[in-house]
Amino acid sequence: MHWFTFSPNDFFFAFLSVLFEGLPFLLLGSLISGVVDVFLPADTLARVFPKNAALAIPLSALLGIIPVCECGSVVVIRRFIRKGLPLPCAITYMLAAPIVNPLVAMSTFIAFRGQNPLQMLGYRLSLGYLIAVGAGFIVLLLRKSPRDLLQPGLIAEASPKRSGLRWAATDALSGGQKDFAEIAMGASPARKLILAVQSATADFLDVAFFFILGTAIACLFNTAVNQQLILPFATQPILAILVLMGLAIVVSLCSTTDAFIAASFSSFPQSAKLAFLLLGPVFDLKLFWLYGLILRRKFVCILGASLIVVIAFICWRAGAVIDGVRLP
Amino acid sequence: MAKVFSRWLPCATLAAWSAIMLYYSDLWSGKVDAFLVPQFRWYIAAAGFLLGAMALVFALFPADAECCITTDCSHPLSRFAAGKWLSFLVLIVPFTAVAVVSPKGYSQNSMLLQRGALTDASSLPDRKISVAPVDLPLPTKDGAPAAATPAPTAANAKPAAPAANDYIERTPEGYLVADVLDLLYAVQDGNLRKDFEGKTVQMIGQLMPDTSNNPNGTRFKAVRMFMTCCAADARPVAALVEAQKQPELPEMSWVRIVGTATFPIENGRRISVIRADKVDKCDPPADAMLY
Repeated sequence: MHWFTFSPNDFFFAFLSVLFEGLPFLLLGSLISGVVDVFLPADTLARVFPKNAALAIPLSALLGIIPVCECGSVVVIRRFIRKGLPLPCAITYMLAAPIVNPLVAMSTFIAFRGQNPLQMLGYRLSLGYLIAVGAGFIVLLLRKSPRDLLQPGLIAEASPKRSGLRWAATDALSGGQKDFAEIAMGASPARKLILAVQSATADFLDVAFFFILGTAIACLFNTAVNQQLILPFATQPILAILVLMGLAIVVSLCSTTDAFIAASFSSFPQSAKLAFLLLGPVFDLKLFWLYGLILRRKFVCILGASLIVVIAFICWRAGAVIDGVRLP
Repeated sequence: MAKVFSRWLPCATLAAWSAIMLYYSDLWSGKVDAFLVPQFRWYIAAAGFLLGAMALVFALFPADAECCITTDCSHPLSRFAAGKWLSFLVLIVPFTAVAVVSPKGYSQNSMLLQRGALTDASSLPDRKISVAPVDLPLPTKDGAPAAATPAPTAANAKPAAPAANDYIERTPEGYLVADVLDLLYAVQDGNLRKDFEGKTVQMIGQLMPDTSNNPNGTRFKAVRMFMTCCAADARPVAALVEAQKQPELPEMSWVRIVGTATFPIENGRRISVIRADKVDKCDPPADAMLY
């Protein structure tokens, strides 16, 4: 029995079906993100945040109700940090937003239709929230100066140019560079709509790039690798969790669509799928690079390693309930 | 050159994707039916229109791309022309090329080898029957059927109560139409099993030899692909068929089976087996996937 048999037809068929299923969700998320970008200035959120960290950190994890996926949250968080959002809150938001948001909730529920969707949704949202809040408090307790954890220049050299909105950032009429919030604030409703569409398009194409690569890798795995040979991994709870976590890191899927791919790993236990759904949105190859734009590499490595260990442990323990596995 | 990257390449990408989505949608070729369950199909048409609108916005309202020439930019591929081209090619080539190739389905031989065919419903999603079975009249104390309902008047006239399995489609010959999933779920569900057990059923599937549960060499499998959300999660499901002799047809031929549905217990577990009276080659069904 061969472990790898590549059939171009099968690969193309699976690849196209995942794109058809995922791209509308990606598009919806980008459109909402574009509207939020234009109509909700980042400094408004930073201003209304409580000063008390014990309140601010749990609250910042709930900002994920503004639907952006992990790529979008990295873009937004740079803006928040420059607008004065405390670092622990920023980290919490960065880790929670890709999971605790309505689009992810909807796609998870739909993707796990027939596989106890409410249970998977509940675990994903609640554990995603708790992990993000926990990370925020740990950063708070470290009592490190933001300069020790953030990339040099992120605060001191606050650029007037908004990096999140590539193509709409310059005021074409004046010819000069302005802060995006100024442009959006002073724009007519029609111009705001155009800015929102341009912002959404930029986000959509950025994320679609990674989505296509991730889908290709996932479909290669799904159609070419003999899944009967990896069944021994699927039946060992901790191995199954580690295998799908490794896959989540490699395939770097968008959190708005990853549930559809996780749900298709039919031979793996729910706890391993949960690990895939918890780790992928907060740490993968693409995020390793994106986080490096905000955080120092050393801190990114520590954060990533901590997330892997914590999520593996939580999912292993949760397997006792989800899969009915007896723990040693 | 900047205009090409900031305006025309995104515009071309969006326009190409919009065209693909609309072409595959049910509004045009309907090819999406092979890829997605019915609930998701309309998303494709909606996404096609939205992508078209976004392409139009990009074409009509040029935007600036200066972000991607500063060190502040978070897009490494966008800082250099080669990276921008690579990014564009990744976005447009795979999706467009695969859409042009337009695969119609899995080559099921390889999918069966990769995933193996499921022959019981325990690992399948819960299934809701689209039409609820009719409630049978409750027995009376002496075990006789309940008294007949009052004679219908003009005001409360209703059609005669149908038999318990009248919600199941029938062929013109009067056979119950069963698919592979019906029989697999019937193994688990006693009520559904009663509707099929001992009845003559007609089922369509693809012929596969049975190598695991075939003591007399008279059995084969009728296989269909079952999709939960999209074709990527599709799995082969199979029902056992027992015939006087193996059909002399190539593997994976589409066959129509007419026979009696039985649910014997073998090796301590209940299975479904159709005792076939007739096995004929047939055309593939309009919808090759089961949902």
